[in-house]
Amino acid sequence: MRPDERELDDEIRGHLALSIKERVERGEDPKAARLAALNELGYIPAVRDSMRRVWYTRWFDAAAALGQEMRVAMRSLRRAKGMSATVIVTLALGIGANAAIFSVVRGVLLRPLVNRGEDRLVYIRQSAPGLGTTNTLFSVPEIQDLKSRVTTIASWGDFSTIDFNLIGFGEPRIVQAGVVGGSYFDVMGLRPVLGRLLNASDDGPKAAAVVVLTHRFWTTSLKSDPSIVGKTIRLGRISATVVGVLEPSVPYPADTEIIANVVTSPHHLGATMVTDRTHRMTELFGRLAPGASVEDAHADVAAAHAAMMREHPEAYSARADGRVSVTRLREQIAAPARTILLVLLAAAGVVFIIACSNVANLILARSVRREGELAVRAALGGSRGALRRTLLAESLVLCGAGAVLGVLIARPLVSVVAQFAARFSVRALEVTVDSSLLAVGAGLAMAAAVLLAYIPRLPSLDYRSGRPEQSRGTSGGVRITPGTNRRLRAFATVQIAFSFVLLAAAGTLLAALVALQTTNTGYDMRQVLAFDVPMAALAASDAKEMDFHREMTRRIDELPGVEGVSLGSFVPWRDAGTFPRLQFTAEGYTPADGEENPHARLRIVAPRFFAVLGVPFVAGRDFTDEDRAGDEPVAIISESVAKRVFPNGEAVNRKLWWTESLFGKPQPRRIVGVVADVDDENVVPGPALTIYHPVYQMRFAGRLFVHASDDPYALVPPITRVIRSMSAEQPVERAATLEDVRAEVLAPERLNAFVLTGFAGVALLIAVVGVGGVLAFSVSARTREFGVRLAVGSSPRALLMRVLSEGLVMVAGGILAGAAGGYAFGGIVTSYVENVRLPGPLPIVAAATVLVGAAVIASLMPAARASRVDVLQALRSE
Amino acid sequence: MARTPDDQRLELLQGTLDMLVLRTLQWGPQHGHGIGQAIRTQSEDLLKVETGSLYPALHRLEKRGWLKSEWAVSEANQRAKYYRLTATGKAQLSREADRWSQLVRAIGRIMNPAQAGEE
Repeated sequence: MRPDERELDDEIRGHLALSIKERVERGEDPKAARLAALNELGYIPAVRDSMRRVWYTRWFDAAAALGQEMRVAMRSLRRAKGMSATVIVTLALGIGANAAIFSVVRGVLLRPLVNRGEDRLVYIRQSAPGLGTTNTLFSVPEIQDLKSRVTTIASWGDFSTIDFNLIGFGEPRIVQAGVVGGSYFDVMGLRPVLGRLLNASDDGPKAAAVVVLTHRFWTTSLKSDPSIVGKTIRLGRISATVVGVLEPSVPYPADTEIIANVVTSPHHLGATMVTDRTHRMTELFGRLAPGASVEDAHADVAAAHAAMMREHPEAYSARADGRVSVTRLREQIAAPARTILLVLLAAAGVVFIIACSNVANLILARSVRREGELAVRAALGGSRGALRRTLLAESLVLCGAGAVLGVLIARPLVSVVAQFAARFSVRALEVTVDSSLLAVGAGLAMAAAVLLAYIPRLPSLDYRSGRPEQSRGTSGGVRITPGTNRRLRAFATVQIAFSFVLLAAAGTLLAALVALQTTNTGYDMRQVLAFDVPMAALAASDAKEMDFHREMTRRIDELPGVEGVSLGSFVPWRDAGTFPRLQFTAEGYTPADGEENPHARLRIVAPRFFAVLGVPFVAGRDFTDEDRAGDEPVAIISESVAKRVFPNGEAVNRKLWWTESLFGKPQPRRIVGVVADVDDENVVPGPALTIYHPVYQMRFAGRLFVHASDDPYALVPPITRVIRSMSAEQPVERAATLEDVRAEVLAPERLNAFVLTGFAGVALLIAVVGVGGVLAFSVSARTREFGVRLAVGSSPRALLMRVLSEGLVMVAGGILAGAAGGYAFGGIVTSYVENVRLPGPLPIVAAATVLVGAAVIASLMPAARASRVDVLQALRSE
Repeated sequence: MARTPDDQRLELLQGTLDMLVLRTLQWGPQHGHGIGQAIRTQSEDLLKVETGSLYPALHRLEKRGWLKSEWAVSEANQRAKYYRLTATGKAQLSREADRWSQLVRAIGRIMNPAQAGEE
């Protein structure tokens, strides 16, 4: 066993005692004997050390020495409280932000899904870039084609999203559901926590209607009721049995609550669904065949898709430019969050760089102040290694404290960032704080500590070479060598440069956001309430349902505070992406050579819709209650449609019709009115080709619009009461003014701007403190210089301007460097806010102005101090 | 006995200290001071072991498992650490002794070729 220090000491003491005793016995004088014995023994610490060395390696000793140094460092830092606190807080901000964001990045982008064999699980996506559609989904004939041709995918799962009116769990409500084939759960590699999942016996029109609940729905809406399996619920008009609860897993699409078999949706068994190649509403998942890679599958599926498009040219317009891709499901789920998380990670990295350069400045300034101490140690024989170890110990203590504080900050930050990221990917909801947070914090702290220990220059070498520059350092006042000064300024410039990049990026996002929020949408935003009042809640025919809606509209119209009521099929922005664009043509219209028939949005509205939402008529009339089924088919068009198909003439009373097979035989409709363009899909309004049908001819609505004279939200309870009094099973949901609907849609944009502004604010603060600190330090070290200047006739004002201009030079340098570097960063920012028009150079100029202003303010104090230097005192100070 | 002046003492040959320590301990457990004294007296004061070399050597040998140590009270009523040879230590001693006599013979042949030839 290893002897400890005391045992070594005891052994030496024993030796000494025996040695003395022996000499005394030989007749020597006790005092002389003691001296002789000591003399013979030699330098005791060296002896003890050589014994120790047998048992402990050099590394062990180095670590022990570092521990000793760290205790010293802690004592010495306690005397520089202000500096230490600044360093620790600055580092903590940098480390905390990075650790938190890294945790979320790891949880969302890198962690595997819970699905069995998740690395073989792929998502097949069809897109039509020519129509601006990133995911067109698949139709049943397309899926059959792919299944019969593709060999690299062993099994396929299909999933179509559908809303059900769910009756049976408390209040009637709309649930987002998936209708799946029997192979779905097997392909996804998921298991039940209760009951069973769906299988092949649940396929086909004759199977019993069954439902599986997602784990989230079961735990949140049903409080994990263990007796739920076997319960019968109603989905619209169909009764279905709950057969199981799914294990906790990432749902895709995100907000799925229940998953049902095909018989629950009569639409899925209908002829349109099964035979129409363009009726695309199904998502497609696959499991790779053994030995096949994602790339193999991608090539295979692309080839099959191309062949399919050649065989059915009528279903794939050339303009749509149809594509298909195969990606891992994990990547597909993370994709929407990827860019924003990487941008955040980059921003956090920039904050870390700024924090480190600021801390480097503080440490550098401190090492200049203690040059005397280091010089004395070097003169006494302290090796460069030992001096470096002292510096390393100090920076380790500082960075360690910064890391601890940073991880403490990071813990709550993780949940904030995760909630933010949840806007982009559901996976962020399951992000938790784990040990990787600590690892990142510790890693960053170590990196910072080593960096910081090697920044200050050691005096020893200069002493040996006898350079006079350093030898003046001990004479009391602080002196800064030109080299140190350059470094201080370089670090300050780095901070400014990076802060400028962040500020400019944040400013750009903010300006884009302001532009978005102040855009004129063409609607009356404040006074219009929109409700989801889905149809098919009643076990009745379409005609009866129309009567119900007509009566509902009449009763709500009678409520006090209601100025107008109407029905529609589409809540602006909120329902974006749920309706495909359809091709149409018009009487007397022939597309130009090489062009196809135009695509337009189909909207179904009740009379007074345009009045209620504040959309003005350009020509013609509104729909009336007389535009019913069986009467002459009519339509209202948007101004863009009129300009497109009737460029030189009156559109009213002309006829147009859809050319899609979905509508069967083309049915010409007489145009009765033209309304102003409103873009109800994009937050940045563009030209909107829209064709409106009267609700009583289309028999489809589901959205209620109410124009309020006062507070719109005060109308929500009475309106709900009116509807419920007519039918207790009618869901009435998601009441919001158009303004709030749009704000909700803009929330991710707002969050992005907010988070990046937060980063930029922190960066600005650190950088300004950094510039001010460098100037303050440089001024305090140049008291004598200022004294001399004043003595030879410089005015205090000139000194003030001189210091200020030094600050401005640093800022200008930083801004120039930042502008160069920011060019690249700007590219990234624009790539993820591509749907936003970037607002010119104004925010960048603004960012520069803010920086210059802040730097001037930060420089003012040291500048004022320079101009107030007392000549006599300054000259006497050495 | 008379003490030999320092300049007549012999420098210990590199690597022989370990062997001498092991050899000394063959007669029974001894503490560091005693080992040093024994080497000196048995060499008739020609060899003197520096304390700064002896103690690290003792610890080195103990670490290799050739010695074992325990605290005990010495004949002079002084607490001291006693070292004693282990079984592997004994084996090591005989190995080193062999090596030493080979070395002595080899060097002897070089230094005195005539005598070596007679052998």
